[in-house]
Amino acid sequence: MLVLLFILFGGLAIGCALAVVAQRNPLYSAISLVGVFISLACLYVMLAAPFIAAVQVIVYAGAIMVLVVFVIMLLNVEEEERGRRRLKFLVPMAVAMAAILIAEVAFILVTVQEFRVNPPAGVGLTDSIGTSLFTRYLLPFEITSILLLMAIVGAMTLARRGGLLSTSARVIPGVTTLPRSLVDPRATPDDLRPVEADTTDEAARLLGVTGLRDHSERDE
Amino acid sequence: MEPQLSWYLALSAVLFTIGVTGVIIKRNVIAMFMCIELMLNAVNLTFVAFASFFQDVVGQLFVFIVMTVAAAEAAVGLGIIIAIFRNRESLDVDDASILKL
Amino acid sequence: MDTAIDIALKFVAITVVFVVVLLVVAYTVLAERRVLGFIQGRLGPNRVGYGGILQPFADLLKFILKEDIVPDKSTRFIYFLAPVIATMAALMTMIVYPFGPDTRIPFTSITIPLVVARLDIGLLYVLGITSIGVYGIMLAGWSSNNKYSLMGGLRSSAQMISYELALGLSLIGAILLAGTLDLFQVVEQQSGWHGLRWLIIFQPLGFIIYMISAIAETNRVPFDLPEAETELVAGFHTEYSAMKFALFFLAEYINMFTVAMLATTLFLGGWNFPFLDAFIERGSFLFGLLSALAFLVKVVLILFFYIWLRGTLPRFRFDQLMNFGWKILLPLALINIFITATLIFLRVPGFS
Repeated sequence: MLVLLFILFGGLAIGCALAVVAQRNPLYSAISLVGVFISLACLYVMLAAPFIAAVQVIVYAGAIMVLVVFVIMLLNVEEEERGRRRLKFLVPMAVAMAAILIAEVAFILVTVQEFRVNPPAGVGLTDSIGTSLFTRYLLPFEITSILLLMAIVGAMTLARRGGLLSTSARVIPGVTTLPRSLVDPRATPDDLRPVEADTTDEAARLLGVTGLRDHSERDE
Repeated sequence: MEPQLSWYLALSAVLFTIGVTGVIIKRNVIAMFMCIELMLNAVNLTFVAFASFFQDVVGQLFVFIVMTVAAAEAAVGLGIIIAIFRNRESLDVDDASILKL
Repeated sequence: MDTAIDIALKFVAITVVFVVVLLVVAYTVLAERRVLGFIQGRLGPNRVGYGGILQPFADLLKFILKEDIVPDKSTRFIYFLAPVIATMAALMTMIVYPFGPDTRIPFTSITIPLVVARLDIGLLYVLGITSIGVYGIMLAGWSSNNKYSLMGGLRSSAQMISYELALGLSLIGAILLAGTLDLFQVVEQQSGWHGLRWLIIFQPLGFIIYMISAIAETNRVPFDLPEAETELVAGFHTEYSAMKFALFFLAEYINMFTVAMLATTLFLGGWNFPFLDAFIERGSFLFGLLSALAFLVKVVLILFFYIWLRGTLPRFRFDQLMNFGWKILLPLALINIFITATLIFLRVPGFS
């Protein structure tokens, strides 16, 4: 029974992984990768690690891949085209190495058989993970939290546009306050008096952003 | 008959190799990033398999940390990819092979 | 042979839960239209059957018989996959909610808990499957090849993943008090004080944060900008018609049902009917039945609260919505965890 489940989830993982590599549309690759993550989570449950399985689904499939799919949709990534083969001998070499890998795997599966299987003793439950994480392995835990803080600061720094607003900026009246130096060339950069405008048109005029509402200048 | 440890390790090796193949073959930066995530997951599977067969919780703790690192790397890596895309208008990794903008 | 009987019992349990969920959700749609009608000073649909009882079946018939329009330039595979993911993720969470205590089946001596699957990590499972449900919306918005759908899909999924955080954090306070992630045990612990030891007494702030995050998570008013009719046509499901739209519709209401059941299980005592165990013996069939009914009544009350909110409040603008989720709800949820943990640590009586 467990063997059947292993073959099912393992086959699903390998199939989806091959799809990740073989698909040319990156969105299909991303969806196949989500399939890999979910089948791996099922394998973790079989290995008596339910907490790690749930965390895998929440973090990898539910957060990281959502981010990747967001980026693919926002950047409107196209499919890869064929062609521009870089080195012609790569394909036969790849086939040869794949054959070696499969031979090694078959060798392992056939010879290394008898392993003492202990019944799982509550190792993977939330209780034991939490206890270890907060007592003996507290230092890695705290360092990981600092790592996440670094990642947040880094991502925010990379994503900041900075500088003047682009011509397609929209100003929401009453909500956005702009630094006065954008509008008044004699103001110092730390002048905090807000520029006030009552409508989007007036704000656009103040900012010198033309072409924002072209249709309102026609005479019809 | 239950799945042996060697089976899990073999599956992990195959997944890792597929990930490496993807990183070498793919030209799209985001697809390469996804193949790197595939490699990280293959390693996670190895850790969890060992943790289960040796009744030690350290394997699963390490998987926890690896997942956190992967999440942090995803955030920053995708930020870098978007910043590169803004400058070069192309997600082909061959176009980003020189440091000149 | 034993495993075969176990599997058969599980299939029966899943079928029962599936049918009950679909019926309740179908009648929630009808109830929403009637109650909204009463709030707005009109009657809702009341022609089909006595007082509109057969309206859901009329709607189902309409959805099945409508013409299925597929946009020309859409990505076909993802277009068909998106409603499937949304509905599947919505339905998969149903298996961990406890509908009743250990009940003795009449005419036999088997005692079964009225829950489909008792997972050790029940709550994490629910959070994980809710995260998967975001994909349905994003892929639907993208594959329709329509900029309004794309905007609606991206906004909707950004909102969902922002409020997922506040949702998870607000539940941590309740989990700290209960000491377990297993939802069946959480409800069992709330049967102290003759069934009145509900966790909402100890976690009022957590309950409020949870309800607000749950409303935002399911894209309901006042957080339904991404799918409001006056804003982005119909948001991410603009280009879907007939049965696929019915699946999205169903997925939204099943999500509502899910978060209402989670609120009932964790905060409102689950299947505990106060003072019922003074009259009827625990573990008997009648106790189980009345407990399941009590659970249903509590869930229906929360759903009524949702519908009431829909008829009463205006909607948030998108930046106000994201502001609220990140800058107000998230710190409040963290403060709630801090306070709860401190009270538990200081062994304040009641917070064991």
